[in-house]
Amino acid sequence: MTTATSTSTAARAAAIVSQYFSAPIASLEATATQLGTELAAYGNLGPLSSQQLDALVEPHALATVSLPDVHIYGAGFIAAVGLLTDERNHLSWWQGDDPKRLLLAAQSVNKEHIDYSELEWFRVPMETGRGHVAGPYVDYLCSDEYTITIAAPVHIDGTFVGVAGLDLLIDSVERQLLPKLAELGDKVTLVNSVGRVVISTDARHATGDAVRAGALAELARTACEGVALEIIAE
Amino acid sequence: MHSTDSADAPRKSAVVADDTARSRDASRPGRLQGALFQSIGDAGRAELVERRLASAITGGHLRAGERLPSENDLARSFGVAPTTVRESLLALRSQGLVVTRRGRNGGSFVADSADPVAHARTALAATSRVALRDLGAHYAAITAACVRLAARRAVPSEVQQVRSRLSRLDESDLEQWRSTLDDAQIELVALSQSARLTREQMRLQAEMSPMLRLIDVDETSRRAQPVLLASVVDAVEAGDDHEAVAATERMVDAVINALIDLQSQSR
Repeated sequence: MTTATSTSTAARAAAIVSQYFSAPIASLEATATQLGTELAAYGNLGPLSSQQLDALVEPHALATVSLPDVHIYGAGFIAAVGLLTDERNHLSWWQGDDPKRLLLAAQSVNKEHIDYSELEWFRVPMETGRGHVAGPYVDYLCSDEYTITIAAPVHIDGTFVGVAGLDLLIDSVERQLLPKLAELGDKVTLVNSVGRVVISTDARHATGDAVRAGALAELARTACEGVALEIIAE
Repeated sequence: MHSTDSADAPRKSAVVADDTARSRDASRPGRLQGALFQSIGDAGRAELVERRLASAITGGHLRAGERLPSENDLARSFGVAPTTVRESLLALRSQGLVVTRRGRNGGSFVADSADPVAHARTALAATSRVALRDLGAHYAAITAACVRLAARRAVPSEVQQVRSRLSRLDESDLEQWRSTLDDAQIELVALSQSARLTREQMRLQAEMSPMLRLIDVDETSRRAQPVLLASVVDAVEAGDDHEAVAATERMVDAVINALIDLQSQSR
């Protein structure tokens, strides 16, 4: 294969990936802005309880998980510590094919006491003030699956109050995005910003592997516009 | 220890094998099929919900005084009818694990008397040495499989997150100390990128954690644990999968030996 072919394949693959993620990201950013406005209005009425927050978040979350074309597993809002009067940490989160509000399941480790401010999907939007794509990673807090979380910070008058987020299972990304990439005909691998394989049309590159050790490490990467993922074409 | 699946164990065979009718299939392995058609047990759904909540309370995952989600939320979450949840809460009340308060701030709460450490002490005393060793073997096998993958797949910034969590261990609050160490352990195994293995590790961690609190009060044993985990973290960061596995085995051995020592002291 010539370099020119892999360059154009990479560009086409990157466009497919950008297109796939564009609707969920747009929906999430709209949610983050609207929630900020709605929470600010609530703030004027006094302290906020977790129940009131859930009522605000639910319509946004349900709209996000029912977006067409992209299978979104879960969505919602994670409050910053101290936002609510009745709970220190609160996940206002809906997930599943028949979306239900997540009650932290008790069969595992102290999930309800996990400090999520250190977790990438919360920490990065909090620190940078910008949206972030985290993963793929094993999401042991919400989905319990291999997941990509896209998160955007929510602000009230410039103050960070939490993160609006959505989860895509890698299983769904593989089912929906891989056939489109396979149509390009060449070997194409999607990696995240730390060089981890998300999906690949070459079955030898396993999802979750790091490209640093393998044959892909030396190849050029093409950024996917609007989402922090990259394409490596062989 | 609180087994969650004893009621699911086969009690009787619902399908009586008919050798003549199945003679054509005699050459096929029948073992799996036999298991498939065995009774799923007649434990009611209320009992399953009750057992799930009871093990969360005795395991310390729902704490004394903590408010349970509303009956409707629990029903939706477990996928059962609200009356089923009500029935299970009634049973938990009669066991003294849950109290219900009426009024505006009412609801169901974990009873103040529900003490996971006391439950763990009883559970440890009731567990045989062979069962403890076997729990250790299971835990070590899963953790080793996770860290082997993590050593190949993790990037330095992710390993650094685990280390920064370990650096926040604070001995002034032992409950929080245990919870931080458990979180660090889960965060490390999640770097395997395997959802199945991580879920299994979480299940085992939940089973072990209440018992580990019993050895956390001993300073020597407590100080040793983060050091042993840090050596696993070091090996993962170095990409040394063999050393990560060896360090995991040293860590689990130390913990199981401490539990067995504690058990023999109190006998």
